[in-house]
Amino acid sequence: MVRMDLTRYPWALSILRNRWPQFLLRAVTLAGFIFTILAGLFGSTVGSHNFAIIFVWIAWWTALKLIFIPFGGRSWCSICPIPMPGEWLQNGGILIPRGKGFGLNKRWPKALRGSWLQAGGFLLIGLFGALTLTSASVTAFVLLFIIVLAFVLSLVFERRSFCNYLCPIGGFTGLYAQAGPVEVRVKDAEVCASHAEKTCYNACPWGQYPLALKSSANCGLCMECLRVCPSDNIVVNLRPWGSDLGPKTKHRLDEAFLGLVMLASALVDSAVFLGPWGELKSAAYSIGSTPWFIFAGVFLFAAFVILPGFYVGAVLLSIQLDSTRITLRQSLAKYSQVLVPLGLMAWIAFTISFAFAKFSYVLPVISDPLGWGWNLIGYSNTAWVGQSTSLSLLLQIVILAAGLFWSSRVAFRISETPRVALPMIAFCGIFSYTMLWLLIG
Amino acid sequence: MFVLSGLLILIAPFPQSSKTPQKRLIRIEASSFQFTPGQIHINPNDEVTVELVSMDVVHGLSLDGYDFELKADPGQTVSATFVAEKTGVFRFRCSVACGNLHPFMIGKLQIGPNQLLIRGVALLILSIVAVFYSVRQIPQFQTRLA
Amino acid sequence: MKKEFLARFLVILFILIAVAIPFAGQWLFSRNKTDIIELHARMPENGGWSIDQIDAEVNEPIHLRMTSDDVVHGIAIGKSDLPGVDIFPGEFVETTFVFDRPGQYTFYCTRWCGPNHWRMRGTIDVSGEGRPLQPEPQPLFVTLDIDIDSPPIAETVPTEQVSAERGANFASLLPTYAIDRTTYLSTSPAVLWMRLRAESALSNLSDQDIWDAVAWIWQGQTTPANLENGQRLYAENCAACHGETGKGDGVMARNNPVWDPGNHNMDKSSDSFTGEGFVRPRDFSDPKNLLGTSSALLEGKIIRGGMGTGMPYWGPIFTSQQIEDLISYLFTFAWDATSEANLD
Repeated sequence: MVRMDLTRYPWALSILRNRWPQFLLRAVTLAGFIFTILAGLFGSTVGSHNFAIIFVWIAWWTALKLIFIPFGGRSWCSICPIPMPGEWLQNGGILIPRGKGFGLNKRWPKALRGSWLQAGGFLLIGLFGALTLTSASVTAFVLLFIIVLAFVLSLVFERRSFCNYLCPIGGFTGLYAQAGPVEVRVKDAEVCASHAEKTCYNACPWGQYPLALKSSANCGLCMECLRVCPSDNIVVNLRPWGSDLGPKTKHRLDEAFLGLVMLASALVDSAVFLGPWGELKSAAYSIGSTPWFIFAGVFLFAAFVILPGFYVGAVLLSIQLDSTRITLRQSLAKYSQVLVPLGLMAWIAFTISFAFAKFSYVLPVISDPLGWGWNLIGYSNTAWVGQSTSLSLLLQIVILAAGLFWSSRVAFRISETPRVALPMIAFCGIFSYTMLWLLIG
Repeated sequence: MFVLSGLLILIAPFPQSSKTPQKRLIRIEASSFQFTPGQIHINPNDEVTVELVSMDVVHGLSLDGYDFELKADPGQTVSATFVAEKTGVFRFRCSVACGNLHPFMIGKLQIGPNQLLIRGVALLILSIVAVFYSVRQIPQFQTRLA
Repeated sequence: MKKEFLARFLVILFILIAVAIPFAGQWLFSRNKTDIIELHARMPENGGWSIDQIDAEVNEPIHLRMTSDDVVHGIAIGKSDLPGVDIFPGEFVETTFVFDRPGQYTFYCTRWCGPNHWRMRGTIDVSGEGRPLQPEPQPLFVTLDIDIDSPPIAETVPTEQVSAERGANFASLLPTYAIDRTTYLSTSPAVLWMRLRAESALSNLSDQDIWDAVAWIWQGQTTPANLENGQRLYAENCAACHGETGKGDGVMARNNPVWDPGNHNMDKSSDSFTGEGFVRPRDFSDPKNLLGTSSALLEGKIIRGGMGTGMPYWGPIFTSQQIEDLISYLFTFAWDATSEANLD
């Protein structure tokens, strides 16, 4: 397949290899992260006038889903500030590759590997979403908790254990990065085979061995391998979207669960935030009350029973239709790939509906980040109600249809015969219609 | 070809409904953070008078796609009239900050059939048809199909 | 190694900038505003006014910089005709109050912000030289010794729609006490009707004629401008509970049970904050209620509020003219509804 190797261009190579551009971005995002926490803690309690709410849930959350992931895979992870303090301590310096530093360097427990905890974390965010999304101080506490947790874990466990196994956003970006157009790979496998030292693996904060990389899910695009490889054998490719999805890549059961949790979250968030059901909103908001427990129960039921139920049903059907012998477990893992484009496009459609109407809040909070009545750039109090335009509605339809096309295509490509793919396509069709109904209906 | 038919699905004119327009009075109660009723269905060209009753704090109602806005204090019902000239589903939102969930205080007004949903479903079906067509071009599938 | 130190320096610098923005900004913005009081408006459930007591000097301006932390609020000074200032969530608005007479003033929220809206009140104590605020004269209900907690029911009500216009025809027949202002203030329409009915000079008039005459007397005690003012005050302050048509079905009170002497239990105290135990306000459009009520009693209710009924006290808020306008407007509910009375 067509790949464009960015490292062939000297300017691109120097930007990627030099530590400074990435370091400066990380330093800025780290400072921004700390400012966001302060704004959330000390700024206005009115969400639309607080930098923390608008920048985390409108600006960053939108950018992640519309720009970082679709055009850069895990590119956000490469400049994410959350693991940085811990990693700098682990490395014993900022511009120093992995090696001697602080920390106990323990291995992450085997039982907790995979994306299970990430999926759980994402569900947890969803359960408390109505409060977190609208309360600046809760947002600040969540951010503070996450960065402290990442720091503490990096002192106990090796490398980026937090990112790999705990970070809910890491789960989200990792899953959908498989569809993204960026990958780090080795140039020539022979060179690696003859190199016994594995410099790249030792330097990788993510614990990946570039030679073995088949999927971009767990590669954080940090470029450490590129920097340390003595033979310049690492490349950064621009590739067609969805390159990790196909009959040849290996997938695990937890990916299917993660994918289903993301689908369930997209549905529930659409219903809660964009739907006309006021009681649902109140239930999701009044945490600890009986309606909230009902809401949480329904949410978890959707994530653990309804969607997995449909998914397992579809996979069982396709096993029936398949002439080759394949276990249910293998099949469930294999078809998790179908959930990737389906979920990514559903989240993009949700974001268009969710965020486009609220973009008018962004400039005012730059002008008055803490809601204290400042007017730094003259845009305070310029926000308007916002509405979904017919263009954004059409765009949502097209995105959802593209998601259905893409995921069905993946289903076909990984199935032995077209017949086998049909149950999975039906699953995608039902999900896409539900999403369409929630957003447009 | 699929792109063309996709475009056709999205922009093709829709037959106009033949229902005779009527005058309607719709009373909408706004409380934090919901409109009651939250879903309203009317016919195209109906002359709609919306009465906004605020139940707890100051709320507003702003209708997407129409230049229509009301703001009401508790105890002071306001109303205004508009003609539903555009068809489709339009969200209405609270336009006066009324607390944390204010940005998500949303109701929907359906005028005539939900064209966009019908177009969307057609496009979803088209995309599945397009997949069938596109996989036929993959060589290994041709042999399998044969 | 130099680069490493530069990098560490930059990290610390950027973090310091991030931390400095809020604190330095606050210092910069508040530097020249030492005499400005920052006042946050919040629903009573969220704490009410952030400051509920302000001390000031006569003729010294009080600069307020206000914002709302939750919903739309407003601020105004009680017993003053100055218009209120709206306070919107997250937005700041400044206003200045100056008082030229020492005394205690009340500031209050002007936009309904929930069932406890009326609790959003604070005081401004103004001290210094000057003629102090006159204490209000004793309200009429005190001098007349009216028990405002036992709502009277009119013994008789009109059977047809009354007309003040028709009533004007009998003006010349009426005894002088009937058109005296003290009579209007201290007597209910039904009581005056009974007195007039007993007048032998009016024996030629029908019952309805006398009702028309009473309606004309009530109309003569107010002006269209006063009625309009009363209507506005009612809409802004009263309709949320008493209902826009006076039926007692306002949005804040319509879920309360209708008052029924049978299930009234004096031992069970009502919870004034949650509203539990409250009943609906009386139906003003039922002539039996208002036509049996005197202006003095209504004035008393408005000034002092209802004991345990949820009716707030408006004494520190309304001027006596505003209360008078409100009362004249209230009576229009009864007069306008008399045609419906004989339906049931």
